[in-house]
Amino acid sequence: MPILFKEVSHIYSEGTPFRYSALTGINLNIKEGKITAIIGATGSGKSTLVQHLNALLLPTSGSVTVFDRVITSDEKPKNLKSLRKDIGLVFQFPEYQLFEETVLKDVEFGPKNFNIENSEEKAKQALKMVDIDASLFERSPLELSGGQKRRVAIAGILAMDPKVIVLDEPTAGLDPSGSKSMMKLFLDLNKKYNKTIIIVTHDMEQVLNYCDEVVVMSEGKIKYESEVKTFFKDSSLCKSLGILPPNVIRLKDELIEKGYKIDDDVMDIKSLVKIISRQVKK
Amino acid sequence: MSNMTFGKYIPLDSVIHKMDPRSKILAMLILIVAIFFPSGWIGYGVIGLCVFIVVLLSKLNIKIILNAMKPMMMMLIFLLFINTLVIKQGDLLFNIYGYTIYSEAIFQTLYITVRLFLMIMITTTLTATTKPLDLTLGIEDLLSPFKKIGVPSHEIAMLISIALRFIPDLIEETQRIMKAQASRGVDLKEGSFKEKIMAILSLIVPLFISALSRAEDLANAMEARGYSPGKERTRYKTLKMVFKDYVLIASSFVLLIAMIVLSRIYA
Repeated sequence: MPILFKEVSHIYSEGTPFRYSALTGINLNIKEGKITAIIGATGSGKSTLVQHLNALLLPTSGSVTVFDRVITSDEKPKNLKSLRKDIGLVFQFPEYQLFEETVLKDVEFGPKNFNIENSEEKAKQALKMVDIDASLFERSPLELSGGQKRRVAIAGILAMDPKVIVLDEPTAGLDPSGSKSMMKLFLDLNKKYNKTIIIVTHDMEQVLNYCDEVVVMSEGKIKYESEVKTFFKDSSLCKSLGILPPNVIRLKDELIEKGYKIDDDVMDIKSLVKIISRQVKK
Repeated sequence: MSNMTFGKYIPLDSVIHKMDPRSKILAMLILIVAIFFPSGWIGYGVIGLCVFIVVLLSKLNIKIILNAMKPMMMMLIFLLFINTLVIKQGDLLFNIYGYTIYSEAIFQTLYITVRLFLMIMITTTLTATTKPLDLTLGIEDLLSPFKKIGVPSHEIAMLISIALRFIPDLIEETQRIMKAQASRGVDLKEGSFKEKIMAILSLIVPLFISALSRAEDLANAMEARGYSPGKERTRYKTLKMVFKDYVLIASSFVLLIAMIVLSRIYA
């Protein structure tokens, strides 16, 4: 049980007229080695939730356990640095954090802060993972295109070799092919390198195609959590939570309405086509 | 930093909040001038009482004003230190290995502290009870008589309102970048001197980049909507002085005169 939230609440600006309760009574268990999607409307507390993972925010009440470190309201874990090394947090629009003279130096910045050996080697590996060509290593990160900047920024976190990678809307503002290759990278990291991945997203297609577990948040509370497969089995569940199901699921629903018989666990377009063509031939 | 209250508008429903920004700005200026007269403890007591009543009327939490004082603490301590070195009048209070502290030094520091405290109390009340936009409208109106001698009152007001508008954004941006860099192992509190320089650099460079790009975006957006500074502009909201506004200005004036009189008596 690597990550465990226990009755976590977070209140911003306590004691002022701006007091805002962002999280209330969160109980959550994030499984190791899985890709977990956190979904919910804007302002539902997703970003606040993930910032508890590496103690950027401390819970107002309750506790967060990350591996064997406990984070509570009044105590930061003693080895904050090692916590932040283990939990790589990629913020929304991470390209805004780039500052070094060259791409390589910027990616090295993280590993150097954590005193990781061969930081240059790690940085090069990370840049390779995000598909940044070696010819760009000595360029200024500010000269790159938007998508490249994003990938360099993500490489900056990967180079720290974290056990858990947390991504806050990593594909926001990327073109469809850019976001697809980004999601593939995360899938790779999960499958090949056995990283635990947590993704905050609005895109149900991504949840269906890439994630194992799903957590639905609304108004600072967890409304639902389960495996992705169970979540999309019954689209009425999605609708009751105010979520538009992915295209495949909607197509499936319409076909069922038209009288086709399709199993609950059919969730990809290929097997859907197979079943339908078989029934049409009959 | 999210608890930073200095200069922040605090939306409450009170008499002071509803007053005309022009009268509030004028009253603030008059009171600050009044504070500069050396009217002794009685004078400051009177001003303090009046300001306190205004704070009560504005329903602001007194803690907000005390918080605004916090950044001044270092300056005051430094001032006390300098004063103890320079001022050698009054009674000798301490003598620590030749380092002497006289009562007058303490007295002078206290005096300045009270003045600063009153000024911060007044300005914080102004900014906390007046929306930034109203504040700039007020400044623009108050400056407009000087247009004839070439003071670009509208431009000044626009500059101030843009600057004010960007403060919360930049604070938020700073926090965001700080968090992003903290996630990359930056620690502003610990580490060697070189590491600290690096940490500050990792914060300032992205902050400048984003501030400049924001400024450019804003300039483009304003131009796209046909903004032209020289042109006569109408307003959605027109300011109107009512009885209570005149009362505020008049009572500030009375206070100012009282302080002048008091300072004469002391002298």
